[in-house]
Order: sequence, then structure tokens, then C-alpha cells
Amino acid sequence: MSLRTFILGLSASFGFAWLAIIVVPYVKMRNLAPITLSEEADGATGIFYPKRTGRIANGAEVYAENGCYLCHTQLVRPTYAGNDLYRPDWGGLKADPDRGDTRRETNAYDFSDEKFAQIGVSRMGPDLSNLGRRVEAIYAVGQDPEKWLYRHLYNPRLLPDRWESTCPPSAFLFIERKITGNPSSDALPLSNDPTLEIVPSPDAKALVSYLMSMKKDQIVPAILNFGPPKK
Amino acid sequence: MSAASPNTPAQDALLRAGIDRSLRHPVMFFLTSGAAWLAVSIVLGIIASAKVHSPYFLSEWSWTTYGRISPAHINTLIYGWGFQAAFAVIIWLMARLSRKECTSAGVILAAGHVWNLGVALGVVGILAGFGTGLPWMEFPAFAWPVLLVSYFVIVIGAFIQFRVKPEGHVYISQWYLLGAMIWFPWVFITANTLLHVFPGHPVMAAGINAWYKSSLIFLFFTPVALGTAYYLAPKVTGRPVFSYTLAKLGFWSLAIIAPWAGMQKLAGAPIPFFLPYVGAAATVLFFIPAISASVNILRTMITSKEAVAASPSLRFTAAGMGGLVLLAIAAVVFNLPNSTLPLTQFSMSGYGFEILALYGFFSFVMFGAVYFIVPRVTRREWLSRRLIKIHFLFSVYGIITVALVALFGGLQQGIGQEDWIQPWANAATRAFPYAVATTIAWCFILFSNIFFFIHLTLMWLRLGRRSSHPTLLGTHHHSGNPHGVDGDIEVAGPLQGAAH
Repeated sequence: MSLRTFILGLSASFGFAWLAIIVVPYVKMRNLAPITLSEEADGATGIFYPKRTGRIANGAEVYAENGCYLCHTQLVRPTYAGNDLYRPDWGGLKADPDRGDTRRETNAYDFSDEKFAQIGVSRMGPDLSNLGRRVEAIYAVGQDPEKWLYRHLYNPRLLPDRWESTCPPSAFLFIERKITGNPSSDALPLSNDPTLEIVPSPDAKALVSYLMSMKKDQIVPAILNFGPPKK
Repeated sequence: MSAASPNTPAQDALLRAGIDRSLRHPVMFFLTSGAAWLAVSIVLGIIASAKVHSPYFLSEWSWTTYGRISPAHINTLIYGWGFQAAFAVIIWLMARLSRKECTSAGVILAAGHVWNLGVALGVVGILAGFGTGLPWMEFPAFAWPVLLVSYFVIVIGAFIQFRVKPEGHVYISQWYLLGAMIWFPWVFITANTLLHVFPGHPVMAAGINAWYKSSLIFLFFTPVALGTAYYLAPKVTGRPVFSYTLAKLGFWSLAIIAPWAGMQKLAGAPIPFFLPYVGAAATVLFFIPAISASVNILRTMITSKEAVAASPSLRFTAAGMGGLVLLAIAAVVFNLPNSTLPLTQFSMSGYGFEILALYGFFSFVMFGAVYFIVPRVTRREWLSRRLIKIHFLFSVYGIITVALVALFGGLQQGIGQEDWIQPWANAATRAFPYAVATTIAWCFILFSNIFFFIHLTLMWLRLGRRSSHPTLLGTHHHSGNPHGVDGDIEVAGPLQGAAH
């Protein structure tokens, strides 16, 4: 076999797969066709345009730089690929006081405003697709949800029922400083010294804003809704 | 494995000695700096693994947080050790098999320094908090063009040597190495341009990243290791490859199957439905090229059992083939849709599979090559059988523990994850003991490699034994000692010492 035949053979065997699973799907997914809402199925007209609020781009950067994706996923798999949807608080809330069962699988619009979908590599910790929802409805009932997250990031083992958590503390995202004038309203109630306060750094604020945006259970158009009819 | 060559044996030996001399500095540079990165990577691996079960360990500083140490560990293992060991083997084997002296050692050496600089800055970037967050591509975006350019400069010489080599037989080793040399830049440029330059859909970007990881294993590290093993096994035993048909089957099935693998890590993600399942199917089918090659190489080796027993190169290569068999079985067992894929998709068995591929298979074959190549390029023999044995035994114990613990621990963890009736903490509790065992196993690997580093450094300083008995004569081993008879120090002439 000559070098030419060899390189042709390699190019054909690799190139076919390369086109079929990389180039064509990539180009096709770059511009997803907009979803038109229909009056009878969705009760609305126009284009489906999900919005996320918060510092998504900055927060995603902090999330990536500090390797959160190594232990946390952002993917609620459909039932054919796993049992994520059955968990009462992963795909949404099983019993939302206003909307009932809001659980649904992850869709292609859930990562808008992000460069890279942090699907994640392992689940040493829980899925974060609906972390914002979870914090508000379950973890931080009656408290400020952002404050709860700050405290959790500062040391995930602080709460007595989380003493077994193996999530690394991220105290480096916080600044300990001398109180001058009024204490900061963001300060964590953890300082032992009354003249010092522990406040979140800009990175921590971006990250918490990003995490609070994790509410991927909003109503989707009928064409994206693969779940069984909900009562 | 002697080519039809017009040369007499004496000219032949001269040519080989000339090739070895021409490549001495680049090969030793890649091997020693690769080994240094391996040391860094193992230490980072121990720290990262310890943090999985003891989160307070070194938690005060941002640069030692798990999310930075762990990518630093895997990236130094891949780009610091893996690639540099591969470069040493590629430039040396391609020169030997093409029977051409290297004329660009200085350029390769310079490019090697640039590669190391790129890796070093990349690792500092990760630790300082500038990582990109793309698994296995965590180096800040400046690093990839640097690595790509130095890669081309390093291997282009080997490619040209192959083009201008005298007519003759093309060995299966050369197919594998050429394949790796062509596949890697294709995969690397694709992944980096699509993720860094042309922004696309974020979920498809994650798919391409998963494909990149899989392609590095199956289309770079696997062919480099197989090309090396296909050289070492016949060379050291002095017997021909068991079956050339099987070898061709192994190569072309790898070429056809491997490019489809990888996206099974995105099963259930919102990308076209066929992508993850084609990926799972291709990963399962990796069994075919893996078993064809490993059976072929092992059958070649066992024609000369005493050589396998006596030669450190063969022993490491045989262990690497064992790692490949295990990898092939794991590829089947852990990627079955509807049964094990949902369990292991997000568990520690992913790490176990990667470490099995990078260390249990690839690195073992590279160690085999190191024990073969270094005496030839330095014209000194390895100092101590005992150091080699310790390196071998503790590496085997360590890697078997890491791989099996992570693979089966991952399965256990996955069962906990999928058991949705139980609280989530159950899955984490199931993973805990396996995480502790992984740390201990990494300590074993560090222990074994300390002996390797010391030994390699002594060889690099040219403090090896001067002996007229080359390590591996292939046909006769004196009293089972891989170094030949001891005590012939200072009588070796340059020619005899460098031949083979």
C-alpha cells in the first residue's frame, strides 16, 4: 500500500465520521430553527424565546474556572437515558405550590447565553439544573436564598445535616475585611471577630447569580414537551 | 524484523548507531521532561484524590481547590507525560524504521522546549484560575496554538523520513504511528477551533469536547502504544509478528470505529438523538481492534517465553497489553445503553476508564519503550534490575487498584444515583470508600515511579553501566539477566554498545 492510498483510506474512514457526527450536527445546531407557538397547544402565539436573568456569562466563567463541572452535572436526562426525572427536586419541583409538578427534561434552549453547556463529567454532587428553584423552595425557606448559597459555598459542611458533604469549601471566593462604617448587608454571619466581616468577592457574587438562574423548569412549548400530560 | 537491505550487518549496525546518536538529545529530552511531568501529575493526582474524601485537605487556597488541582493533574498527565513520551517514541521509531538519521535534532529540541513552556504556562493558568472549564482542554486558550505549532515541528521530520525512506516493507508499527500523527492534529484542530474560535450551540460544544477526549485516547494514545508494541514484541523476541492479517484488521477496524466514539457521555442531552448512541456503539466495538492487536502482540511474545521473563521492555509491554484487554472489556461492559450506560455516565468509572487507558495501557507500553530506547541512545545499560522490578510491581498493583476501584466503584455509585427513591446523599456515601482506595493506589504509583525517575535521571546523566552486552540481544539471554553478564564495564566500543 502506498502512502497515498493509506492517507486516502484514513481520510475516508475518519472524514466520514467527522462529517457525520461533528461538522454537520455542529453547523445544523448553530442556528436552531425558532419554535413558533401555537394557539391551541400552547395558549400563546409568537416565537418561543426563553429568557434567563442573572450574571450568566460571568458566573459560568467562575463555575468553569473552579471546576464545579467535575462533580456537578447540568443535565436532567429523559427517562430513556436515566432516572433523573423521578427525583422529586431535580427536573423541577414535584409539588410546586402554584404550578404543581413542574419537572421536565433539559432542552436545547436551557443553556442560552452560555458558550459551553457544562453537562459535567461526574455526579459526586447533585445535578444543578434546578438549583435556584431548590434553594428557594426547599433549602432556604424563610431566608434570603442568595445568603444561603453564599454560606453554602463558604463551607458546604456548615449546616449540621450536611456534615457528610464532600464538596470543597470555597472560602477563597470571600474577602475578610475590617468593618468601616456600617457593616455590609452581604456579610456572612460567620466572623469570630466583631471588627471583621466576611463578604463575597465579585466572583462569588457572579457565581451565586448564575446558580440562582438555574431554574430550568419553566413551561416549554408543546413541541418540546415530551412528558406525560400533567394533572 | 530486518528489512530487505543491501547493507551488510556491519553497515547496518553503523546506520542504527548513527540514527541513535542523531536522536539522543531530543529523545532524552522528551523522556526526562515527560517523566518530570509524570511526577508532577501523580503528586497532583494524590492531592486531588485525597480531596474527594477529605474536603478540608489543603482547602484554604484557591489554587489548591479540587476544581483546579484535578484538571491540572489530568492535563499534566496527558500533555506533559503522555504526549512527550509519544514524541520520543515517534521520532525514534520512525527514524529507525525508515532507516534515516534525524537531521533536525536541534529544531525538534527547540520545539520540545516550546511544548514544555506551553504545558507549564497552561498548568499555571489552570491553577491561577484561568482554566477554560472544558474537560481535557482546560489550558487557557493561548496554549493550544503553541502546542499545535510545536507538535508539527516535532513530528514533521518523522513524516518526511517516511516519505524519502528507501523502498521496502512498511511495518505495521509505521501505519499506527503515521495514523496517530495524522489523526491527532485533525482532532485537535477540529475541537479547538470549534470550541474557541467559532462559537456554536453550547450543548453541541459539550458533545465535541466528549468526542475530543475519546479521540485522544482511541486515535492518539492507542495507536502510538500499539505501534510501539508492534515494534518491541517482534524485535525483542526475534520472531515475526504472529499474523499480519490480524494486524491489518486491527488497524483498519480502529480507523473505522474509533472516530465515532465519545458522545455517549451526553446520552440524554439535547443533541441529535443518534450521536450518543452511535458513540456508545463505537466504544463497545472498540473491543474488535483492541482484541485483534493485543492477541496478536501477546501471541508474538509467547513464542519466546524466556524473553518475556527476562526483558523489562517486554514485561512492561505485556502488562500494557493486559491493560488494553481490560480496557476493551470495560468499553463493552460500561457502555451498554439501557443497562450500564445510565449507571456509569456520570460516575467515577469515567475517570477509571481514562486512567486505565492513559496509564494501564499507554504508559506501560511507553515504559517498555523507555527501557528499550534509553540504553541505545545513551549507549549505557540500565543500572539495576531491582529498580526496574520495583517500578513494574508497584505500578501494576497501583494501576489495577485505581482502575478496578474506579470502574466498579463507579458502577456502585451509579446504582446509588439511579435509585431515585433514596435521598441523593446515598449515592455519595456509596462512592466514599472507593475514593479512599483510589488515593492509596495513587500513592503506590508514586512510590513505583520514584524508582523510575531516579533510574532515568542516572541514565540521562550517562551514569549507566558501560557494558558490551546490550540489554536485549533477542536470541540469547545470559542466565536470565536482562543486562547480560555483569562486569564488562569499560570494554564496550561505541559501535557494539549502540547496535540494535
